[in-house]
Amino acid sequence: MTDVSEKLLIVEDLSTTFATAGGPLPAVANISFDLGRNETIGIVGESGSGKTVLSRTIMGLQPRTNVSVTGSVLLDGNEMVGASEDFKRRLWGTEVAMVFQDPMTSLNPVMRIGKQIDEALRVRLGMSKQDAKARAIELLELVGIPSPVQRYKAYPGQLSGGMRQRVVIAIALACSPKLLMADEPTTGLDVTIQAQILNLLDELKERLHMSVVLVTHDLGVVATRTSRIVVMYAGRIVEIGATRDVFANHRMPYTRALLESSPKVSNASHTRLITIPGRPPNLLKLTQGCSFAPRCSYATDKCHQERPELQAADQPGHSFACWNPLPTTRGDSAT
Amino acid sequence: MLELEEMALVERPEKKKPLGPLFWLCVGWIALNIFGAIFANVLPLQNPLYQNYSAINVGPSLHHIFGTDDIGRDIFSRIVYGSRVSIAVGFGSMVIGFGIGAPLGMLAAYRRGRFDTILTTFMYILLAFPAIIATIAVLSFWTPRSVFKIILVIGLASVPLVYRVIRTATLSVATKDYVIAAKVQGAKDRRILMKELLPNIAPIGISFLLIGIATVIALEGTLAFLGLSVTTPTPSWGNMINESRTVLQQNPWLAIFPSLALCLFLLSLNFIGDRLRSHFDVTEVKL
Amino acid sequence: MTDARQPLLKVRDLKVTFGKGSHAVSAVAGVSFDVYEGETLGLVGESGCGKSTTGKALMRIVEPSSGSIELDGADLAGLKKGGRQLRNIRTRMQMIFQDPISSLNPRRRVKDIVAEPLDCWKTVTGHDRDVLVSDLLSKVGIDPAVYGNRYARQFSGGQCQRISIARSLAMRPKLLICDEMVSALDVSVQAQILNLLEDLKAEYGLTLLFIAHDLAVVKNVSDRVAVMYLGKICEIGPADALYEAPAHPYTKFLLGAALEADPDSPMNAQVLEGEPPSPMNPPSGCRFRTRCPNATEKCASEEPQPQEVAPGHQVSCHYPLSITRK
Ligand SMILES: Nc1ncnc2c1ncn2[C@@H]1O[C@H](COP(=O)(O)OP(=O)(O)OP(=O)(O)O)[C@@H](O)[C@H]1O
Ligand SMILES: Nc1ncnc2c1ncn2[C@@H]1O[C@H](COP(=O)(O)OP(=O)(O)OP(=O)(O)O)[C@@H](O)[C@H]1O
Ligand code: SF4
Ligand SMILES: [Mg+2]
Ligand SMILES: [Mg+2]
Repeated sequence: MTDVSEKLLIVEDLSTTFATAGGPLPAVANISFDLGRNETIGIVGESGSGKTVLSRTIMGLQPRTNVSVTGSVLLDGNEMVGASEDFKRRLWGTEVAMVFQDPMTSLNPVMRIGKQIDEALRVRLGMSKQDAKARAIELLELVGIPSPVQRYKAYPGQLSGGMRQRVVIAIALACSPKLLMADEPTTGLDVTIQAQILNLLDELKERLHMSVVLVTHDLGVVATRTSRIVVMYAGRIVEIGATRDVFANHRMPYTRALLESSPKVSNASHTRLITIPGRPPNLLKLTQGCSFAPRCSYATDKCHQERPELQAADQPGHSFACWNPLPTTRGDSAT
Repeated sequence: MLELEEMALVERPEKKKPLGPLFWLCVGWIALNIFGAIFANVLPLQNPLYQNYSAINVGPSLHHIFGTDDIGRDIFSRIVYGSRVSIAVGFGSMVIGFGIGAPLGMLAAYRRGRFDTILTTFMYILLAFPAIIATIAVLSFWTPRSVFKIILVIGLASVPLVYRVIRTATLSVATKDYVIAAKVQGAKDRRILMKELLPNIAPIGISFLLIGIATVIALEGTLAFLGLSVTTPTPSWGNMINESRTVLQQNPWLAIFPSLALCLFLLSLNFIGDRLRSHFDVTEVKL
Repeated sequence: MTDARQPLLKVRDLKVTFGKGSHAVSAVAGVSFDVYEGETLGLVGESGCGKSTTGKALMRIVEPSSGSIELDGADLAGLKKGGRQLRNIRTRMQMIFQDPISSLNPRRRVKDIVAEPLDCWKTVTGHDRDVLVSDLLSKVGIDPAVYGNRYARQFSGGQCQRISIARSLAMRPKLLICDEMVSALDVSVQAQILNLLEDLKAEYGLTLLFIAHDLAVVKNVSDRVAVMYLGKICEIGPADALYEAPAHPYTKFLLGAALEADPDSPMNAQVLEGEPPSPMNPPSGCRFRTRCPNATEKCASEEPQPQEVAPGHQVSCHYPLSITRK
């Protein structure tokens, strides 16, 4: 496609398989995508589709035991798969940082939030105590925490969920990473707070010239915040493309089902929702066909026997994995 | 009729590791010991009190398979009879401890409020006394000692411990939505305690019970070692170990066999308790 | 529009306060509403605004500190806690909880869970009971022959929620309070459960109080919607009208923050700044005034009373946004 050096992140044929008591569990399978600089990509999928495993694998955060990672993750030219802990540690914070879903578990409850930001600055950037404190307060201000000087001394438990998530973002931004991985950064927050945090991420992305991977199960979150989205199902990409194309011209039945089954504010009361029967497959018992076939109303014999690979759709950069793709000329009626 | 979505129920496998042969071996061992303790009179055993002066301090032989002690009593038969005291004390005092502590703990955790506050404060004050020293103190004054008195004292001393464990276990269950749901269905307190709470704390209770029995049996051994268990010549495992002290040089068997019996019994109990707990642990898998 | 119908549930000035003295949290601070027979009233609001507490106070799982609750003309708030009369109400009013998995006892069989209310009340016993349980289970889409003897812990969240629904319907209640019953579920499963709920509502003639924080979900199931902020209802009205033309500034912000799964939807132009104040010391006057762009001194000194801006559409604001219907 475009010049390789243009891309900040290139993921190629990435698979993560856990060895479990029930056999190998392919949580992430054959995933390829890339991400330009200053771009936001959304990763959407239902619970268990492998979003968290994928983002952790990209960061090189998988535990060393009982897991095998194959493929390649090139982060600004650095190969993450198989890299040593030391090497990855040098990249964490400066190249890539992560915002986790639950701010309470990613903050140390018995340490003042200021100290937690300081830590990163002093260890990673070798700042002096005063400099680190000044920068920490600057960061708190950057993420929109009112009266940052006082809050510098607060403990995580004294902050609301939204404030905590801002602190987590401040910590992630401490060493000015080029890529921010946000795993469900707003799940569990209220809509008004969610809007604040998403706006903040957007604004910071522009201001600091970062790229963002926004992982979420909520299609609403990615609709207006991303330039491209990846739809995952059972550990694989089933559709990828520009956000607008995926929403308006999706070709894969699962994407459609996902869009149609989410209730909409603009629906009239008592609108009957379109549902997908059943629920996502057990990753230990995947069949060789399309993983969506058992729930798909378009499924044919071929779907049950052979797995569809990603194929290009009409729009550039848009591809989908389906043997019986939905027609293209449906206009916008389905969205 | 309803139009129902066809459901592809993907079952969550109930993957449980079998308890394993070692577990059953331990169960068998405990059963054998209990059997021996109950039927010691009718089993073809030698009299544990009979002193055979022509066979003093002999090692294991065909006639005395564990040998004899310094006054010619058969060690094997003394161990079997001795298990009576150990087992009776272990089980008996836990019956008392659980009989009082468990219902109180459950009720307090379920009711909460003032009842809980008062009872829990009281129990914690009791817990602040070192139970072992209290037991020793009471037993050294309350003579003559009998199995019954020992059971009573240890049993009562264990009540606060049992109370604390059961109350904590119940608390974590009592705040679950299904308990509120049962209340909302119109279930009465009794029903909630029996149907919703009990089954969920039983696994913790049972494993704590087994480990408690083991602890008490060890405690009885300690008391005997201090000369505070049943009065000699009645054998108990602890008594026997205590008696062996003086003749350890001439006859090590006298110490080895009762210690072995005690160790194996305690190990088996602890192992069973541990296995049962992990076996019954239904970790609620999230969606 | 709603006047002709009888309210099944009538709540007046309901208050719930947790704790005492300076630590008192007034979680519900005077809430009044009616739920008419056969309708679904949605209750939305942000985390901590007192939605669940309202639902639980109606069920008397938490004790209301004042106010009246009338179900079908019978007063509930005055009934003695733990008394027989209160217990009798349980058959007419049921609740479904947020966490589907923890609302079922993991060590009981599905059949027994669904039969629990029947066994408590002994209304149906023996063979009839088994038939009724099987019937309920198949109504919620769970094959009783295959899954009836399974333990609750073997089911996924969506299936657990189905079982909860079956259990709540066993005594054929009139009113069902659903507290965030789909928030823990994935969208595809959520849609199944919402459709199921609509079907059962029609079949059993249920009246629903549907508590949720998800505006889209509430819109899809409700006839009328009440919006809560910091323990009070700030706006209540017909769902379509309220969503189309909110009269309370808070409702407007809330709707503006709701994200539509549509790339062309307008980016929320105005975002509500700050966070809700603590219910421990709520602001004087209008509770929303600290975050409201239209607030004046009157808002700080005087508490706005509910006023009707359109038939059945009430708003508690000194300066309601003008309602211009499209
Ligand atoms: N350490 C692990 N060992 C074994 N299996 C794992 C491990 N971590 C994750 N999995 C499995 O991998 C699959 C994908 O999980 P993942 O957490 O990535 O899903 P997700 O898309 O992030 O879902 P959610 O929306 O619930 O966060 C799941 O089936 C999960 O059970
Ligand atoms: N048992 C309790 N003791 C003390 N305070 C409580 C208790 N239960 C709830 N609260 C407080 O009451 C307020 C309202 O809580 P409630 O659970 O009703 O909110 P909610 O609207 O249901 O929020 P959510 O969307 O998070 O479920 C909160 O401030 C909460 O902290
Ligand atoms: S490949 Fe077949 S089963 Fe899979 S989504 Fe397409 S039509 Fe459905
Ligand atoms: Mg995840
Ligand atoms: Mg709630």
